[in-house]
Amino acid sequence: MVAVQETIDQVKQIDIDQYKYGFETQIEVDKAPKGLSEDIIRFISAKKQEPDWMLEWRLDAYRRWLTMEEPTWARVEYPKIDFNDIYYYAAPKNVTGPVSIDDVDPELLKTYEKLGIPLREQEILAGVQTSKIAIDAVFDSVSVVTTFKEELKKAGVIFMSISEAIREHPELVKKYLGSVVPPTDNYYATLNCAVFTDGSFVFVPKGVRCPMELSTYFRINEKNTGQFERTLIICEEGAYVSYLEGCTAPQRDENQLHAAVVELVALDDAEIKYSTVQNWYPGDMEGKGGIYNFVTKRGDCRGKNSKISWTQVETGSAITWKYPSCILRGDGSRGEFYSIAVSNGHQQIDSGTKMIHLGKNTSSRIISKGISAGKSNNTYRGQVSAHRKAANARNFTQCDSLLIGDTCGAHTVPYIEAKNSTCQFEHEATTSKISEDQLFYCLQRGIPEEAAIALIVNGFVKEVIQELPMEFAVEAQKLIGISLEGSVG
Amino acid sequence: MTLQANTRLTAAETALVEAYNTQISDLPGDADVLSARDRLLDDLKTGGLPTRRIESWHYTDLKTLVKTWPALEGADTTKVLPPMVAGSSVLAVLQGKADGARADGFTVSHYRDSLSDGSAAARLAAASDDDAIGRINGSFVRDGFVLEIPADAELEAPVEIQSIHAGGQAHTRFPVKIGAGAKVVVIERHIATSGDEAALVSSVSDITVGEGAEVTWVVVQQQGAADTFLGQVRVDLGADAKLKLFNVNAGGKLVRQELRIDANGEGSELTLRGVNLIGGEQHVDVTLVLGHNVPNTSSTDVFRNVVFDRGRGVFQGMIKVAIDAQKTDAKMSCNTLLLSDEADFSAKPELEIFADDVVCGHGATVADIDDNHLYYLKARGIPENIARAMLVNAFVAEVVEELEDEPLVEALEAIISAWLAKHA
Repeated sequence: MVAVQETIDQVKQIDIDQYKYGFETQIEVDKAPKGLSEDIIRFISAKKQEPDWMLEWRLDAYRRWLTMEEPTWARVEYPKIDFNDIYYYAAPKNVTGPVSIDDVDPELLKTYEKLGIPLREQEILAGVQTSKIAIDAVFDSVSVVTTFKEELKKAGVIFMSISEAIREHPELVKKYLGSVVPPTDNYYATLNCAVFTDGSFVFVPKGVRCPMELSTYFRINEKNTGQFERTLIICEEGAYVSYLEGCTAPQRDENQLHAAVVELVALDDAEIKYSTVQNWYPGDMEGKGGIYNFVTKRGDCRGKNSKISWTQVETGSAITWKYPSCILRGDGSRGEFYSIAVSNGHQQIDSGTKMIHLGKNTSSRIISKGISAGKSNNTYRGQVSAHRKAANARNFTQCDSLLIGDTCGAHTVPYIEAKNSTCQFEHEATTSKISEDQLFYCLQRGIPEEAAIALIVNGFVKEVIQELPMEFAVEAQKLIGISLEGSVG
Repeated sequence: MTLQANTRLTAAETALVEAYNTQISDLPGDADVLSARDRLLDDLKTGGLPTRRIESWHYTDLKTLVKTWPALEGADTTKVLPPMVAGSSVLAVLQGKADGARADGFTVSHYRDSLSDGSAAARLAAASDDDAIGRINGSFVRDGFVLEIPADAELEAPVEIQSIHAGGQAHTRFPVKIGAGAKVVVIERHIATSGDEAALVSSVSDITVGEGAEVTWVVVQQQGAADTFLGQVRVDLGADAKLKLFNVNAGGKLVRQELRIDANGEGSELTLRGVNLIGGEQHVDVTLVLGHNVPNTSSTDVFRNVVFDRGRGVFQGMIKVAIDAQKTDAKMSCNTLLLSDEADFSAKPELEIFADDVVCGHGATVADIDDNHLYYLKARGIPENIARAMLVNAFVAEVVEELEDEPLVEALEAIISAWLAKHA
């Protein structure tokens, strides 16, 4: 089946020439010299007032990175990146870390206002929003402000920029940093270890249910800079946190690199819900400019009955290369991955997940929807594996894609690896999401065909959307209506 | 995905190059064939055997899995076996050398003659960058049969190609042209008669199916317990042609069976079925690359795998839909029964789609026997071991029955039952 008109219109609304966040903030910046060397790493480390062990960790990673080769297996094409033509540190002048909201440069506040990100606590409280969100705002290489820190502290939750955490909670950082994504993991993760500048740190102690949603908003503003953020979230026994991440960048002709690492650790009975709305600048209609989004995200279900859930709505970036994964180490642990990836223009997406079943009675679920239009290519690449000892591992995977027009491509590359006879893996990439039976049921009750299709399709896509926290629903709203009728495997 | 330059050769790779150097003087071929062979070997020499770093060989690292390159000669003499289906026209290749042939209603010649007169040179090239089997076979191939089924011929009896060896090496090739509107059943059988001698066998079938032809092609692989088998079936499917392609793997130590199929004619239909019986220390890899290159073609693929003991199974299935191939209807499924905790199975069903008005889907499952099914049978007084055997048998028999050719179905079921009786 071909895509219905409704779908085509909806995808057009979020087409890349409709990018709304392409403005640039004029602000004085403090930059490290261009290029990458041990001196630059020392410069970053010194700017962040890091202890020696952190600097050594970075330098080790850098030396290893020099010996590594850029991965080429993904279905994406781009000119070779000159890693010496990038600024690795750029921060608004006089900002080295988060300060109180009153001290933040008004130009920056304006930027966040324009982006619709509430940074003033009182505004949030007085506003129409019913639930509170604590926000860590990262601008280029630094965290500008972190809200609701005090209130969270009362509950025992630590929420701050990772630079602060390295200074204030070195024992926690030392214990968990690099324990999920080791510095040797892959080319971009290793580069990130060497040059990461900021990001968020979350620690939820035993038995605490984080009282509000936590959120980080990443903004790349400066020209020719790379953003290398590092996020570390730890949930102790029985704790729960829901974390949201949003990203935008100005419209520019040059490509910019964003190589982040996100690590999640869930101990016994803990639950982490991580949601992303990725809307980096995707480049223009000719494929010029845009962000290279090369990200390593991984969650470790270290404890028994722990749960990690990734939800992502991907509409931005020139190239996306990311596979939020779950290592299901604890017995009875559960991993989930819900994704909607929309590619337009010349965008290239190679994204998916990995579910590594190591413990007994572990289960995972993957729901992925890819929509390609324009001249884009959209690839789902996912791995599900069961280790020898992963008795009763259970996985269900469903990935569907939809093509709009005949100049784009949709690809599915699942890897299913079973090493235990008690595992049960099901992978499905089916076509007509609308079964004849469902349609007949609606038609029989007097619902016109178009309305019936919309009804069924909406119910279907909601599988992913309903996993997003309320606060992100607005941004995702445009996508909800996208019909998957005519989807191909 | 190109073979990467690798200067350090393993023992098996060195033996491969040496084998070529000693055999080249008596390998059949004119100047064109010889230079084609040299090019293929050169690629193998510079790239080495493929490793897991090459995507299409990710689960079958030939470089580490191929340990030795056996001598050319087999341990025993071989002789023609009775055909699977009585009355078939038997074309036998003994130890890599084509024997006399009985041909009723079609023409057949020895492939070594096409090598000698150079007419085989053009098709010797590798099918793609990652085509290691094509390279190995093209370097070493000595014989096989060239078949031509005339247009509109309806062959009553099946044609059975028997490739029999008893250790050593055998490299065969079967270019087959099936004329427009012809109807034919071909059985391609690979068998070892000596058990213990580790043999290395490669075989390429190069099949062109003419417009409106109806073809059933069955590949039955029963190599010895120590043998390496590298098989490839290439198909060019013409307009409105109907092909039923069956692949049964019931033997070998290291097996890679590639199915490279191109639906090049509008209205063509492919029915592809596979049964892979894997046990002991076997490594069996079935890799399918199916290109829907023109509008209005359809395909259904069903693979059933049963893995016992320390067996290792691999299924890679790639469906490619070209930009012009609107109205493609392609369905693939791969179901696996994993019956031992020491066994493993890896599946990679891939889709690559560039046309927007198509129906494509794939499904893959891996699991043990359903407890409910087992309970149903046990509740009726059937002992567990027999109940399990019944369920395994039913799981694969379902696919074989789709051949709808009674003598052929019976012959295949006999091979499957014999294998299960020995391994289950």
